[in-house]
Amino acid sequence: MDQSILFVGLLAAPAVGAAISLVPRDGVEILASLVSSAAAVLVSLLLLASGASGAFGFFYSDGLTRIITITISSIFFTSVAYSWFYVKRINEPLIRFRWYYSLLDLFAFTMLLAVTVNDLGFVWIAIEATTVTSALLVALERERTSVEAAWRYTLIVSAGLVSSLLSVIFVYFSQGTLLISDLTAGPLQAGLLMPLAVGFALVGYGTKAGIAPMHAWLPDAHSEAPSPVSAMFSGILLPTSIYALVRTFNLLQGLASFAAMQNLLIGFGIFTALLAAIIIGYQRNYKRMLAYSSMENMGIILVGFALGGIGAIGAVIQIVAHAFAKSSAFYGAGNILVSYESKSMAEVQGVASRLKYSGYLFALSCLAVTGAPPFGVFVGEFMIIAQAMSTGNFALVLLLAAVYTYTFIGLNRQSVRMVFGVSPTGGGTLEDKAAKQGTNSARENWLSVAIPLANLLVALGIGVYMSPLLLQAAQGIVP
Amino acid sequence: MTIPASLLGEVAGLLGILVILSALYLQSQTFVDPTIRAVAVQSLLLAGFFVVLYLESGVADLLYLAAITAGIRGILIPVVMLYQVRRFKHSLRESGTGQRVPSLVIVGVLMTIGGYALFKTALLPTLSNPSASVPFVLVLLSFLLIVTRRNALTQMTGFLEEENAVLYAGALIAPTIPLLIEFAVVLDILGVVLVGVILSATRDVLRTLEEPELEQLTG
Repeated sequence: MDQSILFVGLLAAPAVGAAISLVPRDGVEILASLVSSAAAVLVSLLLLASGASGAFGFFYSDGLTRIITITISSIFFTSVAYSWFYVKRINEPLIRFRWYYSLLDLFAFTMLLAVTVNDLGFVWIAIEATTVTSALLVALERERTSVEAAWRYTLIVSAGLVSSLLSVIFVYFSQGTLLISDLTAGPLQAGLLMPLAVGFALVGYGTKAGIAPMHAWLPDAHSEAPSPVSAMFSGILLPTSIYALVRTFNLLQGLASFAAMQNLLIGFGIFTALLAAIIIGYQRNYKRMLAYSSMENMGIILVGFALGGIGAIGAVIQIVAHAFAKSSAFYGAGNILVSYESKSMAEVQGVASRLKYSGYLFALSCLAVTGAPPFGVFVGEFMIIAQAMSTGNFALVLLLAAVYTYTFIGLNRQSVRMVFGVSPTGGGTLEDKAAKQGTNSARENWLSVAIPLANLLVALGIGVYMSPLLLQAAQGIVP
Repeated sequence: MTIPASLLGEVAGLLGILVILSALYLQSQTFVDPTIRAVAVQSLLLAGFFVVLYLESGVADLLYLAAITAGIRGILIPVVMLYQVRRFKHSLRESGTGQRVPSLVIVGVLMTIGGYALFKTALLPTLSNPSASVPFVLVLLSFLLIVTRRNALTQMTGFLEEENAVLYAGALIAPTIPLLIEFAVVLDILGVVLVGVILSATRDVLRTLEEPELEQLTG
């Protein structure tokens, strides 16, 4: 079978879903998006199993592509499914729901395009297009804060991404091609422009990936977007940007400037992780807390890719495990928000007594994203710190250990307080409490519990059973 | 009739200087509407520059790029932005920026000089094209505009200026780069989304175009 047909199918699924979602009939939008996202998962699995490597006309694939593709498709599918439960509660959405689902499909389409094209120019175009397709999703709830967050997101990310266009221009000027297959075949021309290209890619794609100090948009957008969109932002949008950065960085392999740029990426990565780890402990808004946790994870993942070796394999494993665990946390946060109608941790206490399953799911998801064994994030973080140790960079080892510890304590202390703390409304049955507070007594349903549970189990499965397919694909990304 | 290459070079250099002057003029404004008009003029100057480059090199993409730059960033987006200004008369002047403008202009001039010095030291040996210092300085000035202003429309002009700078760099350094037109189109679509959709939503929901200090969006 011509493997390029897999890439066409992968992109066609969300594109067709986006078009059908706009048909003005009730229920069509959710059905079209569900079917298209399920089709994308299926094709991604076929792509993973096919082991497709190299250039396929317009497309390019290696281990990293195959793994990120299945991650994007899966989180896309679960976010569409969770939207079914979540978006109904929005009374005055900024756009009609069929536009919401259509944009969700297009958002996934642009991310899938970014990780499968064989041209750095198109990678940039696709990542820029993710901003266009997702800007309105952030502002869906039509509140002052969400509209403001959408503006900040679009402006900061766009301004940053223009810098990465300079990176693309420099790569072309110095190498005469933008095709990833040609660039990776090497040897490349040395000179100042290639490290400069990586520097501009770091600023541009780093802005979109939430790398400090260009991260200002991230906590706002993650906390104000509807929970399914927050899950897609955190779980797959940030790694897609990291993918573009890593593709550019890996071109330096074998060039004299590699070590200097490696240190630069490690520096930015660890700074991001440290900053986020410190801020997490002081958060008052639980969705912002999760957003900073995403920043921390992206910082560590960047360090892993920069270190290379098993650090890069660890980074890939962490990308996948974090995507499933963090999306589970955001879905859990969505259930809490629906019930409490507040994002303030001070007002959300005793979740376990009000929401039978969501509280525990939220607490477990928080454990998973902070690298508690045996979840997959732990395996990724362990491999990254092991690589740092093997290179003899003990200062980095200490800093990573500090980040792991501080984040683990900071985030889980807050989540435990939310889930098991004493409710400010005092005793009585749950229904009594809801009635006393006059709050929305909406309860979780099977869908709102099953989706985060499924994702959490995948994050656990990655930790306890290292799939040979995943390992094989991950090893393929080490240059 | 063939235009002498030396004359084209002189015209290109002159347009480059005018682009930088327009960027400094942008920094010196406290009112929003002259800022928008200045970025429109800058885009038209840049379109002229692309035409000159086309006459020099014969690369047809540059002509399309000139048309896109003049049509979208020179006319369409500024017209929509000026319409937004008319809807919000109270936002014509930026709040709190007036007193800082002289110092911002000085910072802008220093960035221009410093940016050129940095370019000459670090990039000129590799790029071997002194004119490339113009987009390099322009990027720095656009960043300054975005980070120092609070009004959404002025921040938007900073984004347009940055876009001008990068396309300027692309056309000058690597005029044969594939996808140059596509880059411009995607950036312009983003500009239209920013102006047409997000700004409209901001205006409708927040009833202002000043960046508010929202309690919940801190920390």
